[in-house]
Amino acid sequence: MKDKIMMLVFVLVLGSILTGILVAVNWYTTPVISKNEELTVRSTVLQAFGIPFDKNDVDQVFAENVQVKEQDGRKYYVAGAKGIAFAYAGSGLWGPINGIVALNPDLSTLRAVTIIHQEETPGLGSRITEQKYLDQFKGKDFTSGLKLVPPGKSKGNNEVDAITGATLTPKAFLQILNTNLSSTVPAIRQGEKQ
Amino acid sequence: MKQSVKVILNGLWKDQPIFSMVLGICSSLAVSNKVENAIAMGAGVTFALIGTAVLIAALRKLIPGRVRMIAYMIIIATFVIVVDRVLRAGFPDISKAIGPYVGLIITNCILMGRAEAFYVSNGVGLSILDAVFNGLGYSYTLIAVSVVRELLGFGTILGIQIMPATFTKWVIMAMAPGAFFIVSLFIWIMRTISKMDPDKAGGGM
Repeated sequence: MKDKIMMLVFVLVLGSILTGILVAVNWYTTPVISKNEELTVRSTVLQAFGIPFDKNDVDQVFAENVQVKEQDGRKYYVAGAKGIAFAYAGSGLWGPINGIVALNPDLSTLRAVTIIHQEETPGLGSRITEQKYLDQFKGKDFTSGLKLVPPGKSKGNNEVDAITGATLTPKAFLQILNTNLSSTVPAIRQGEKQ
Repeated sequence: MKQSVKVILNGLWKDQPIFSMVLGICSSLAVSNKVENAIAMGAGVTFALIGTAVLIAALRKLIPGRVRMIAYMIIIATFVIVVDRVLRAGFPDISKAIGPYVGLIITNCILMGRAEAFYVSNGVGLSILDAVFNGLGYSYTLIAVSVVRELLGFGTILGIQIMPATFTKWVIMAMAPGAFFIVSLFIWIMRTISKMDPDKAGGGM
């Protein structure tokens, strides 16, 4: 009986000490981690608007150029004549993809698309993060939905090239963009009318 | 003194976690695609090993035999969570790249194996030494494998372009199959050099 009580006491004491360590680490790192995440979002927004910035003064440049607004619970970023941006998210082929999409002030054509996080196959699907691939979204009209066409075949103003050897990732990516654009842009239109 | 030399040699060579004990293979396959990931993972495992070694060796006379596995698990888990939080706070890019594998250090057999085989029956000093050199043994394997994989898969080392611009990247090296090829080649080469034969008693070393 005595050793059973000892066992219980031991587990309780050890558990409390370890929990104490974790609470301390958590208390110390949580603000740093959320600051890092916020910094990533802000620098990606600036990148989407094409506003030049230095790694060390992201916050300052952001505060000078970008306004954060909210409509129907959706957060979006306004940068005057440079347009409007918002965060998108969805499932890619292998894992979640998220990032920032910037629209021109007319709210019907894309200004830029950036990716913060993706888990696609390195060297194949992950090529959606290449600047050359993302650049082709510039100026596309998304009002009737973006359409995927075989590599090198894009002609219309809403057509986007696929990637040779990795068709499924761009397909999932366009689906994410279309879903997010059609759900968020109406809210932004409403917010900007006021 | 003699014992500490033995501990060092065991960690780096005779009982080296990867090619000799074949422990920690899962993470060494997963995070060895880039040198910086390998360094971060090696440092993380080494830190978790040292923390585990200190606590278990210090408490070895108090840990009741029946619950020792649970005690190892919660001690290891604590230090792994610390590693994960510190990486996320201090090195967000690396943390993003090796993501879930930091959490999986908990199930890394090197930690559990060393705890049961060494820390629970040795003093704090020797245990720390053992932890450091097992961690180094694991890290140098990861770095050796990742140098080959990053060089062939991306043409770079630590992000610095090494191969000429015309070099065709071996995409397979950046993916899972490349890890299997290089890790098994590494084990083969090291076992040949050390004349290790798993069929002989004592490994033939």
